[in-house]
Amino acid sequence: MTMNILFYILAAVMIVATLLAITEKHPVHAIVYLVTSFFAMAGIFYLLCAPLVAMFEVIIYAGAVMVLFMFVIMMLDLGHPEEAQRPAFITWLVPLILTSLVLSSVVSAAVFRTFPGGSNVEITARAFATVLFGRYGVAIEIISMQLLFAVVGALYLGRKGGGK
Amino acid sequence: MTVPLIQIIILAGIIFSLGLICTLVWRSNVIMLLVGIEIMLNGAMLVFVGGSYRWGAPDGQIFALMIIAMTSAEVSLALAMVVYLQRRHKTVNVDDFHELKDQ
Amino acid sequence: MKLYLELIILLPLFGALINALCGRHLPRRLSEWLACAAIGGSFAAALAAFSSYSSPVRIEIASWLADFDFSAPLALYLDPLSLSLTLMITFVCGLIHLYSVAYMAEDPCYVRYFALLNLFVAAMLLLVLAENLPLLYMGWEGVGFCSYALIGFWYKEVKNADAGRKAFIVTRVGDVAFGIAIVWLFMLCSTESIVDLNSMGGSIPPWKLTAIGLLLLFGAAGKSAQAPLMVWLPDAMAGPTPVSAQIHAATMVTAGVYLLMRLFPLICLSPTVLAAIAITGTLTALYGASCALVQRDLKRVLAYSTISQIGFMMLGVGAGGITAATFHLLIHAFFKALLFLAAGCVITAMHHEQDIYRMGGLRKTAPLTFYGFLAGALCLAGFPLTGGFFSKDGILTAVWEQGGTLYSALYTIGLLTAYITALYTFRTLLLVFGGDCRSEHKTAPVPPLMNFILLPLALVALAGGLLNLPTVFGSGLLSGFLAPLIVGPVIDPSHSTELALLLASSAAAFTGIGLAWLRYGGGRRQLRLNEAEQPLGGLSAFLFHGWYLDDLYALLFIHPFIRLSQFFWKRVDEQVIDGSMDRFAGLLGRWGMLLGSLTCGRVSLYLLSFAAGAALLVGWLAWLMFSAGGG
Repeated sequence: MTMNILFYILAAVMIVATLLAITEKHPVHAIVYLVTSFFAMAGIFYLLCAPLVAMFEVIIYAGAVMVLFMFVIMMLDLGHPEEAQRPAFITWLVPLILTSLVLSSVVSAAVFRTFPGGSNVEITARAFATVLFGRYGVAIEIISMQLLFAVVGALYLGRKGGGK
Repeated sequence: MTVPLIQIIILAGIIFSLGLICTLVWRSNVIMLLVGIEIMLNGAMLVFVGGSYRWGAPDGQIFALMIIAMTSAEVSLALAMVVYLQRRHKTVNVDDFHELKDQ
Repeated sequence: MKLYLELIILLPLFGALINALCGRHLPRRLSEWLACAAIGGSFAAALAAFSSYSSPVRIEIASWLADFDFSAPLALYLDPLSLSLTLMITFVCGLIHLYSVAYMAEDPCYVRYFALLNLFVAAMLLLVLAENLPLLYMGWEGVGFCSYALIGFWYKEVKNADAGRKAFIVTRVGDVAFGIAIVWLFMLCSTESIVDLNSMGGSIPPWKLTAIGLLLLFGAAGKSAQAPLMVWLPDAMAGPTPVSAQIHAATMVTAGVYLLMRLFPLICLSPTVLAAIAITGTLTALYGASCALVQRDLKRVLAYSTISQIGFMMLGVGAGGITAATFHLLIHAFFKALLFLAAGCVITAMHHEQDIYRMGGLRKTAPLTFYGFLAGALCLAGFPLTGGFFSKDGILTAVWEQGGTLYSALYTIGLLTAYITALYTFRTLLLVFGGDCRSEHKTAPVPPLMNFILLPLALVALAGGLLNLPTVFGSGLLSGFLAPLIVGPVIDPSHSTELALLLASSAAAFTGIGLAWLRYGGGRRQLRLNEAEQPLGGLSAFLFHGWYLDDLYALLFIHPFIRLSQFFWKRVDEQVIDGSMDRFAGLLGRWGMLLGSLTCGRVSLYLLSFAAGAALLVGWLAWLMFSAGGG
């Protein structure tokens, strides 16, 4: 029961933080709200017996990625709230319609779908690692290659006087 | 007492929808657009982890990990591109980037 | 026998092939020699076949067309009719080849000329020897092609090429009818063998037989220049003179007559067809003779006389006188080749002048040519005791013996035509050879070889009557030889009738020759020459233009056809077909522009449409689950 209450609290925090993040016209504030949202997400992951993913969420998402965003915002000197402006109402209309369509579809599909039963077994880090480096070895290789390419690409794009 | 999968999926759907709205609305700022994408990916991750929790299989978590790795790569590249474009065009408005279109 | 028959056809074919493929690289002498030797060898083979001939033989060389129950093998058939024609063709064509060597001595395109000439002979022999109709049709089209190519031999002049095309297209009209007849005969008798077909005439319903006979007649009319398809032959004189002699006088134009004789046992079952053949022949004979009366071009006179003489052969076939028709066909081939070759000598002597009103005096300057031409003219005019006299008389006798109103009328017209023939023949002879030379130039020397060729032809033509004397003088050799071909009652007139008819023919010939002498002989010749300076009027102009048939056909067929074509071109093709294509292409182009404008390069729009697509997909999936869960 405690777990359920915790879940609802975290979910509420997450939704509110995300809402604030996407409606905030100041990028730096938005990023801070987002970090809050990700922390709540990490809590949910922990509740769902995935401590490893929760850890990664905090370290990589809330930590590295968001700091990267921060750096770029500072680098590009976008941190001036007086220059930023929230999009007009009309631009919200179509996305809202489309999104409500998607959301209602997903929700109705989830509601009308009965899921087969299963057991809530805690997955230990050992079991996780066994499967990750056993069955998904090739995926690891591919992901590492992708990261390598990303590094190369980012270096190329970011070098001084790049693209000239 | 456990958390029902349905609630997890609905939460993930809400998060995903918020990300989608963010992506669609913030055309004047590439940074916010990327933020929207991050939110959507988080929604997806939540579904995977929820599934993994429901059936006690590690595969969902592994996929969440993959998504994290992919996202970090994507974000690093995308932000590098934003920096590059900002240098050339002095703007972060996505609608100003249309070099690939045949004029 | 098989070897002989194969050699007869293959030798000219190989001659043509060698000349066509590598004639350019051979010395000129060798190329000419090859062409002549091929025909000579063919003639020798024909002679050998003749000497070893005892009864009709059918020889199958190879299978050619065979499908389901249809079969048309490469089979040859040798019977008296085809044998006599083969002998005639190889003999006459051989002489004409020799003549061509001298006549074409100046021409640089001799390789093409001799290749076509050899090919022509091969096709003609195939036509004559073919055992089934498809094979015959192949030869038929082969000679048609060679004729086209040789009429337009000097194709650099538009006039010649046009004449070739005209001949090709006009004969094609007849060929279509012949083709229909071939297919129809197979549908009715399920065989294409001529021998079988000839014995199956009784099993065909009469009206169908009549229709087939008329189709065959129409096909024959195209090839043999009979009414109403005779308009191509006068223009066909555009080719070299030996070609005119070989194709348009001696051999090819008789193909139609040969076809009718070949299938005579079939078509003689229908009196309507026979009457139609006889009427066509008579009308054409009269048409040709009347037109020949006023022509000024030497070769056109001979062309019209050819039309007229083939009309006679048709008349003979229509009257059931196969022997007489064959006899006339052979004799005509000899004397018409003789006349054309002599005309070639004349034209050479006159520096390629063909207007007979500008000639004259050649009797003194080219005596050999004169005697050759005289022999031919006597035959053509039907001067008593020449070959032409007996052969023409044979046909008229056959007509007379048919009796009845129709055939009596035809006999009268035939006799009138014989008289006109004598008249125009000697008009030509007197104008060309009589009087003094009017040409400014001295006459050119005629190569001796060309004059020499005239001799054997003249002998054969003059003495040809011996081949088939009327029964009053003894038995006819050819009649006996061709006897197996005769179906129905043998024409056996009484001696008194025969003598009377001979006298009538002689009288017609003499009257014609006499009138010609009265008008063109001696001093009156100059009078006519002065008259010729005036423009033609009335009847003369009508005859000179070949009864204005060309204009009539132009009015009836060609102009409507051109207007129809223009309608199809301008309206249907350009406006409907092209127009609809253009509009369709324009529509597609506009659609493309419309779709292309979607790629505006605006990322936000892409994202929006991406989201819309996602919404659609997810919505659809939800709908699927909803209906699955609900159901």
